Amino acid sequence: MTLLSVKNLSIGYKTKKGLLKAVDNISFDLEKGLPLGFVGESGCGKTTIGMALMGLLPENAVILEGSIQFQGEDLVRLTEKQWRKVRGAKIAMIFQAAMNALNPVHRVDEQIKEAIITHQPDMSDADLSDRLNALFDLVDIPVARMKDYPHEYSGGMKQRVIIAMALACDPDLIIADEPTTALDVIVQDQILKEIRKVQQKIRTGLIFISHDIAVVASVCDRICVMYAGQIVETGTKKEVFTSPRHPYTLSLLGSYLSLDNLDDIVIPDMQEPPDLLSDIGSCRFADNCRVCSETCKKEEPGWVQISATHKAFCCEPQIIRGSHGKN
Amino acid sequence: MAKTDPKKNFLVEIKGVTKTYFPRKQFFARHQNKVLALNGIDLCIETGEIFGLVGQSGSGKTTTGRLLVRLEHPTAGHILFNKVPISGLKGPELKKFRSRAQMIFQDPYQSLNPHLSIAETVMEPLVVQKIGTPETRSEKVIHTLETVGLSPGKAFYNRYPHQLSGGQRQRVAIARAVVVEPEFIVADEPTSMLDATIAIQLFKLLREIKETFGMTFLFITHNLAAARYLCDRIAVIHEGHIVEINTAEKIIRNPEHPYTKKLIKVQPGFKYGR
Ligand SMILES: Nc1ncnc2c1ncn2[C@@H]1O[C@H](COP(=O)(O)OP(=O)(O)OP(=O)(O)O)[C@@H](O)[C@H]1O
Ligand SMILES: Nc1ncnc2c1ncn2[C@@H]1O[C@H](COP(=O)(O)OP(=O)(O)OP(=O)(O)O)[C@@H](O)[C@H]1O
Ligand code: SF4
Ligand SMILES: [Mg+2]
Ligand SMILES: [Mg+2]
Repeated sequence: MTLLSVKNLSIGYKTKKGLLKAVDNISFDLEKGLPLGFVGESGCGKTTIGMALMGLLPENAVILEGSIQFQGEDLVRLTEKQWRKVRGAKIAMIFQAAMNALNPVHRVDEQIKEAIITHQPDMSDADLSDRLNALFDLVDIPVARMKDYPHEYSGGMKQRVIIAMALACDPDLIIADEPTTALDVIVQDQILKEIRKVQQKIRTGLIFISHDIAVVASVCDRICVMYAGQIVETGTKKEVFTSPRHPYTLSLLGSYLSLDNLDDIVIPDMQEPPDLLSDIGSCRFADNCRVCSETCKKEEPGWVQISATHKAFCCEPQIIRGSHGKN
Repeated sequence: MAKTDPKKNFLVEIKGVTKTYFPRKQFFARHQNKVLALNGIDLCIETGEIFGLVGQSGSGKTTTGRLLVRLEHPTAGHILFNKVPISGLKGPELKKFRSRAQMIFQDPYQSLNPHLSIAETVMEPLVVQKIGTPETRSEKVIHTLETVGLSPGKAFYNRYPHQLSGGQRQRVAIARAVVVEPEFIVADEPTSMLDATIAIQLFKLLREIKETFGMTFLFITHNLAAARYLCDRIAVIHEGHIVEINTAEKIIRNPEHPYTKKLIKVQPGFKYGR
């Protein structure tokens, strides 16, 4: 079942220098029970998509075109009043770097309590305390440290508090924006397991954003690889990992350090992506692409379908279809 | 044991260092809350090496880094820098130490002051240390920006942190640390927020800096793969104790401590290719 359907979504930010097109003509569907991952480098537009799905785009953002269908409604058209019934209750977000936003003057347990009460004001004190204990248990914070202040926690512990807060209200769709970036590998491993477990148990929809492709792969069945505001490749986990096609996906996988690949690591000499303030109208990855052709510098790429679920955004269908192998 | 080898030239020596925090006492609590962040650690870093400190969140990595650049003092034990205890440094000696030991912080979004331009950010340590004249300083800043891969330096000079990508911000943080040409840099999780293509380029940069300037690094991370890629030796820290120290290769190939084995097991990764 399709829980969320995004069509031709473009989002810009008004800046002093003009309109910055952070998200450019993006379409994807989220199937219930099939977590969807977004991966891409810093600034490619991942958080902007998440914020649009939460109705929390900043003042200077404009949705230029497109629709976001969720439970029979187009979220793009909701008023702020309508959003209040959706946000937090039906769609919850684990915000990037939220651990730095924990209120320094309130004890940690009070802050989680607050998150529960906002959405379930009628909960009894006994239920509330049970829920609180369960949530602390879930994210592995010892009960003895529940009443600490945030500054007494390490970075990782703070992020676990944030995850507990998002889980507090039992939403239909969770958007997790870099939920484990600040965590160490052991806690990351636990949290990823936890997210998978919760996800399978309550079968909530999950959009998982990370710059770390292995992390995305450990949670998601479907993957969208983004570059400079566009999706450049999408497919099942297996397709993207065993048969990556877009040159950016190839460098992302080829430069990923893991314990068993140190010898064949490829250090790309990457330029920054093009300035999103200007109209680009050609492939955004061209400056970094090893197989760039004249066409790529003149034309906007198109989708090259590889299988029913797998496609790449590129001007060179024969390169995408042929196996151009590892970097 | 490397530790007692008289031939080894140690830039940094940590001897029996303990750090206890006393978080604010809770009103009704019967006991004073006490966090033992570091519990008697011993560690020596050789001149010119990149030394990795790897461990889980809350294990005491950042605390170690902060102690080494004297942002804090140990509760017990000694830290020697060039054979001199840093706790006794005062006045001009302390100032000199401050320019010799620098730290790059965990989060590129937090570590740069948003109100300072890139030029001001990188120049600040020179001003504080009274190094150079206004003209030579700005030349030095431009040169350092180019060294860390922000070329041409002039193009970045008047920008602000929010106008830079995460990777560029971390390069600015590196420039700020190397501009005073320190002997020792603590790099605390410098790439945990960045994608693989950017992270690997920053690692390459750190290696280049090490080679060009002969600097010594303490590289703090929870990513063993990154530590192995970058470091000569690695110490694994767990709950304020160093549980294992060895060459990077041996830590990965023949881990001895069960905790190290556990770290290796949970390392994210995937089999790339067909
Ligand atoms: N409020 C804003 N005003 C102007 N530009 C913005 C604003 N927020 C984001 N941007 C720009 O929009 C682009 C996309 O930003 P976004 O935060 O969505 O990226 P991201 O993929 O989440 O990156 P990261 O991995 O760093 O979190 C970037 O170029 C960013 O500088
Ligand atoms: N200012 C402080 N007051 C009280 N406790 C503190 C303080 N700073 C750190 N601690 C505690 O000391 C321990 C070690 O923290 P530290 O920040 O060194 O860990 P870390 O290894 O850097 O973790 P992370 O990977 O999460 O950054 C933690 O239990 C932390 O809660
Ligand atoms: S469109 Fe051209 S430049 Fe862009 S990724 Fe495809 S081959 Fe490379
Ligand atoms: Mg983001
Ligand atoms: Mg730390």
